[in-house]
Amino acid sequence: MRSRTKGAIAVLLVISAMLALPSAQSLPAGISGVQQSGCNCHGAVPSDSVVASIDGLPESYNYSETYNITVSFQGGPSQEGNVNQGGFHLWASQGSLGVNDATAQLYNENEVGHTEAGNDQVAWTLTWTAPATDTNVDFILHVNSVNGNADGAGGGTSGDMWNKLTITLGGPVEVLEAADPFVVLGVLIIVSATLLAFTLVFVFYRKDPEAFDWDNFAPWLADWLTSTDHKKIGTLYFIAGLFFLGVGGIMAMIIRIQLSVPGNDFLTQEQYNQFFTLHGTTMIFLAAMPMINGFANWMIPLQLGAADLALPRINAMSFWLQPFAALLIFTGVFSGHGADTGWTGYAPYVVSEGAHYGTTMWAAGQIMLVASSTLTGINFLTTMAVMRAPGMGWMQMPLFSWSVLIANVMLFLSIPAFGVGLIQVYLDRVIGTAFYDIAAGGDPLLWSHLFWYFGHPEVYVVIVPSFGIISEVIATSSRRSVFGYRSMVYALAGIGVVAFIVYGHHMFTSGMSPTLRFVTMLTTMLVAVPTGIKIFNWLMTMHGGSLVYRTHTLWALGFLITFTLGGISGMFFPSIAMDTHLHESYFVVAHFHYVLVGGTVFGFFAGIYYWWPKATGKMLSEKLGVLHFLTAFVSYNALFWPMHRLGVWGMTRRHHTYFVTTEEALGSLPMEAAGWNMFITVSGFIFFFSNFIMVFNMIVSSVRGEDAPDDPWGGWSFEWMTSSPPPNHTLYKLNDGSWGLPTLEDANEHIANEPGWLSSWFQRLMVTDQETGETGEASH
Amino acid sequence: MSDGEHHPSAWGPHDWSHGAPHNSWSPFILSMGVAIFLFSLGAAYEWGEFQGWGSLPLIFVGLGVISFSLLVWWRQDMSFGMHGEVFEPKSTGTPFQNIDIRKVAMWMFLMSEMMVFTSLFSTYMRYRLGIPNCKTVFHSGEWVEGTAVTCFEPAGHLIASSWFHIAPGAINTFALIISSFTIVQALRYAKKKDIDEDVRRRKVTRYLGTTWFLAILFLTLKMIEWFLGFPLPEFLHEFNHGDSEIKSLYAEGYLINADSYEHKAFDTDYIEKHPEDYSIPEESALYAMMEAGTHPGGKMMANIQVSATTFYVTTGTHGAHVLGGIIGLTYMTLKAAKGGYTPDNAVSIEYFGLYWHFVDLVWVLVFPFFYLY
Amino acid sequence: MSRPVAEDLPATLMRGVSPEHTETTMSVMTPIFAGLWEHYIFWSLIVGGFAFGWLFHHSFWFTSKDGEKLPNVDEIKIGVFPKHNDDMRLEVAWTVLPFLLIVWLTYYSWGPLDAMWTSADGGIHGYECEEGQSSNNSIDSSGIISSDCYHVIEITGQQWFWSFDCLELGTSICDTGTETMEVYGSVPVLSLKKGETYLATMTSIDVTHAPWFQHLGTKEDTLPGQQTTLWLPISESMSEESMVLCAEYCGDAHSVMAAKLIAHN
Repeated sequence: MRSRTKGAIAVLLVISAMLALPSAQSLPAGISGVQQSGCNCHGAVPSDSVVASIDGLPESYNYSETYNITVSFQGGPSQEGNVNQGGFHLWASQGSLGVNDATAQLYNENEVGHTEAGNDQVAWTLTWTAPATDTNVDFILHVNSVNGNADGAGGGTSGDMWNKLTITLGGPVEVLEAADPFVVLGVLIIVSATLLAFTLVFVFYRKDPEAFDWDNFAPWLADWLTSTDHKKIGTLYFIAGLFFLGVGGIMAMIIRIQLSVPGNDFLTQEQYNQFFTLHGTTMIFLAAMPMINGFANWMIPLQLGAADLALPRINAMSFWLQPFAALLIFTGVFSGHGADTGWTGYAPYVVSEGAHYGTTMWAAGQIMLVASSTLTGINFLTTMAVMRAPGMGWMQMPLFSWSVLIANVMLFLSIPAFGVGLIQVYLDRVIGTAFYDIAAGGDPLLWSHLFWYFGHPEVYVVIVPSFGIISEVIATSSRRSVFGYRSMVYALAGIGVVAFIVYGHHMFTSGMSPTLRFVTMLTTMLVAVPTGIKIFNWLMTMHGGSLVYRTHTLWALGFLITFTLGGISGMFFPSIAMDTHLHESYFVVAHFHYVLVGGTVFGFFAGIYYWWPKATGKMLSEKLGVLHFLTAFVSYNALFWPMHRLGVWGMTRRHHTYFVTTEEALGSLPMEAAGWNMFITVSGFIFFFSNFIMVFNMIVSSVRGEDAPDDPWGGWSFEWMTSSPPPNHTLYKLNDGSWGLPTLEDANEHIANEPGWLSSWFQRLMVTDQETGETGEASH
Repeated sequence: MSDGEHHPSAWGPHDWSHGAPHNSWSPFILSMGVAIFLFSLGAAYEWGEFQGWGSLPLIFVGLGVISFSLLVWWRQDMSFGMHGEVFEPKSTGTPFQNIDIRKVAMWMFLMSEMMVFTSLFSTYMRYRLGIPNCKTVFHSGEWVEGTAVTCFEPAGHLIASSWFHIAPGAINTFALIISSFTIVQALRYAKKKDIDEDVRRRKVTRYLGTTWFLAILFLTLKMIEWFLGFPLPEFLHEFNHGDSEIKSLYAEGYLINADSYEHKAFDTDYIEKHPEDYSIPEESALYAMMEAGTHPGGKMMANIQVSATTFYVTTGTHGAHVLGGIIGLTYMTLKAAKGGYTPDNAVSIEYFGLYWHFVDLVWVLVFPFFYLY
Repeated sequence: MSRPVAEDLPATLMRGVSPEHTETTMSVMTPIFAGLWEHYIFWSLIVGGFAFGWLFHHSFWFTSKDGEKLPNVDEIKIGVFPKHNDDMRLEVAWTVLPFLLIVWLTYYSWGPLDAMWTSADGGIHGYECEEGQSSNNSIDSSGIISSDCYHVIEITGQQWFWSFDCLELGTSICDTGTETMEVYGSVPVLSLKKGETYLATMTSIDVTHAPWFQHLGTKEDTLPGQQTTLWLPISESMSEESMVLCAEYCGDAHSVMAAKLIAHN
């Protein structure tokens, strides 16, 4: 119990450090805008003895009216008779400033300062023309009080003092102070986390209302924190994954608010940059990957007929690295210093001082995620290699298991490159190594290669498990065995192989050599072949079957539509002459959301509806499920389909705003782009909220769902052989009525237990314990 | 908890007769420790500049939390095989039938480790081949006295310059190779069924201890080579360019932030002392320039940050693997001293040995690439 | 450090959409892009029509109700690996046919490739122009522009603006300047002559950028410490004014790092 308290204190320490540290960074020499740094102030700190004032400003301005204002100060070392007496710098967020005489000069319409001639006075008169819109106008005035020793021995500024004045002016119509998006994000995340915590406590309460006290709750909670059981860890993965899916969604909604109208100023550039960076990182690494691991943790041992994963404690390690990594990744975001590099984090920006402080922690957090993924890869590959039930050869593994196998092979062969790249970035930013220091000869493209060598397999890693889920769902729902099992496996393996040779298409416009670009164009086109095989096999599975419409069936069919569309739009990129236009446009955004949301997430939804009864022993409501599917499917397509057109028009991704115009010459977006963006935003909100139907469905099902039978859908694989939910130490109901670990039979002719020629050859290389005996030291 | 009769502690020691470990605090705590460590390290330094003492204690908190979690982990594992109960699940699926699961997992782990070093070597090769070598630049004469040129100075240029400079690296190579042998001997004696238990205990402990010692020696020599240097007895000075010590790389100025490091053309000192015989080829442009007096003394400043970075990070990553091995060996030696290794669980030594051979093998690649070439 | 902010926009541009709009939709499409685009759309429609037709047919034809007793075609049983349901000819068919299609699409995309990466010496854009020589651009049916010779200009990216340098070219061939645009404020202008071809040699002085010449449908990264090149063939039908935007994320003011390309006669 004491150690738990220590743990809690350590967590609090980390959190408070996360919040405190970045804000300490921002002053006094940290990142600052025009307003703060525009004044070349004398002295290091402002002095209270200098009092600045602006006279002549109204309480609230009238549209476009010009006001005469006087800027002045009192106090400090300034006194009459000094060679120089003072200077000022005034910045206005809106409207335009102007000067009356030679004592002041205009830098631009937002900024004005004194001239050489205006150096020996303490008051200056200026004009300010109010803007023509309703807005709050900020004025920031810096003044120097000067003792006039500019030519003296002590240097020009010694003994001088300065101070600052900030005034906010209201418009003719009162404008509400805009909400700080960071506050919005923070509040939403805290609210979701609190709701999540309440839900968990409620679930605990529902389990046994009698035992609802701390003495029972503490061991229950400790059990969740320390468990090495694959089912519990799978559930934890799901909770984390769904939570971060929500967080990423909130960020997407904030981004969409900003983009809903042209020239919007809901988010500043810096805020927008942080939000799209964290949206990408969160969705890929903290939402999609944990959900995949959630499915894999739950279903791989069950499908293989094993008791648990091969390395249960390593499995717990893989999970717990993730929430702590998430804390690091989000470091600084609430104080406005979060990572702002894009999820690709291109060098040398990622190691430049221009990239926010949070970028260091963003890299650190991802290093932990790399460690987590590596451990996961080792664990699942080992499990699938060694723990298949007797009788289950490689070619009798259920397709979901195959998809996880391929995904993990890809992941764990590619992610070390990313890990090394991140360590390089982390070391560059922390101890000052020079991997991406251009002046020292560093190569920005090295990062791109390391990143995309991982990054492209990674996007297949998140889609391939969905392929597995869809294969299971379509076959079961059609009451058929999946069409072309073997070609499905070969297609998966083919995707796993081409994943490593196509990454160059992310770098078509990066100055890579034309020969390499051409080779990549060929290999990228090749991706269509295995993917096409899978789509046609799924379609053929339905042939001659008898499709039962359940929620997961609907999601699987929806997946077929959206994924096919996403696949087709993907074919436009390898054509390089088209890609040079489409690259970095909204066409890309549309494409990868079609495959990552319409593919991956729809697959997850199908999987959740499919396996929920098995995992919880409760049925989900079909009515709510269908409602979820209909609203989400329609709004999803309305959300992403128009983006294709925006991309072709030339709307650029990662731009915090865009402009529309009727002037063809100007080359900005056409007028209707504004309407489409608003449409997209509205659809986005509908899509976001529609997913809460599923959350609601889950809660309703946990509280008062019907009990689920062992095999509600009629699947064949081992997970349906155990009870719903499976017993704590996984065992299966064998044919003779007893409980134990199962053996697979094969309805086909050939004998499953005989290893193939490759396996036999490989097995001859292995030295088993029986053979070693005393001279066993020679066995490595 | 679910199964009423069986309450394994999440803090260890574990009752292995029930099979795989059940609950454990150590994954949770270890992850937290890693996060605290990475966070506080990133807060303590920025671009190599120390940011103040504020977050320094937190670094040690992080390391402490990590160590604590490792202790928890080991406390659970220490009992493994100590009282005869061994939980060593075997593979059921082809092609690994009857192989220990842990062995397969170790090979899987080594596969991903290979990718780590492959990436580091790719980085090295990219820069080594892409940035002109300092020696080539020096000899081309295309540089200006006093202005740093960006070029690649392989550490091997310094290290391979004399037998004394290369000594730590060379000794290390043999230390690692011998340690690979001693770990196998430890396994051999642990597996021997026909010897006295006490003899086995002593033999295994000694061999593991020797391995541990050699690993410590490796890191010590590394510190000497990087930071400490080593004084030489006087009669050896003449064989070391006349220097009284083996200078560390640090003392040579071979640093990650070295943007104006003086290229050591080992011929420079030599040139001054033996003006009639220096190693600059007569046909080279530099030779002509020195003859004409354009590069008097031949002192070329170089920005070698990238060279130093690739060297320290790659050999440092290898060093971190050795350190990991030392931590593991400490535990194993202690366990062996308690008589913890019997023929039943001797395979644990084998699986550590796999990792250790891998670390050795990587060194066999690192040494020629970074020290000799 | 001063950073541009796009705040002072005319109200009409910021909010609200004017009801009348002009047909600007295709203006950013170069002939090369349009040709490829239409070809790809054609095949997309065929593939999509085939797949979706099949999907909709099967979704409504081969259905049943929950709980209905049906023949178990493949004798599916829990714990038994089901009977294989496959057909070699079909599987080979949808391996080979997509393969043929992508071979065709690769071949079709190959032609415009020449326009992207012709060699700087003796390719379809010839050699560098002598002084006073004109490129004499000619455009073929697929939109590929070939020229007698080309002019070299320099583009440098920097946080957060573009610098254009015409090197020794006369102002009639190439000109630079700045101009105030309604939305982006003061932007650099590159003025190129219609009918001439330019080879931009590009670099960056801080981080990676990429100029996207929107009406030329082309972009290429500018990398610090390295040089990249980009062909800018200006056809007679090129619109007078078009935008250059930054297409590689480069920090705070990335989105307003704009420039204007003028094609003059």
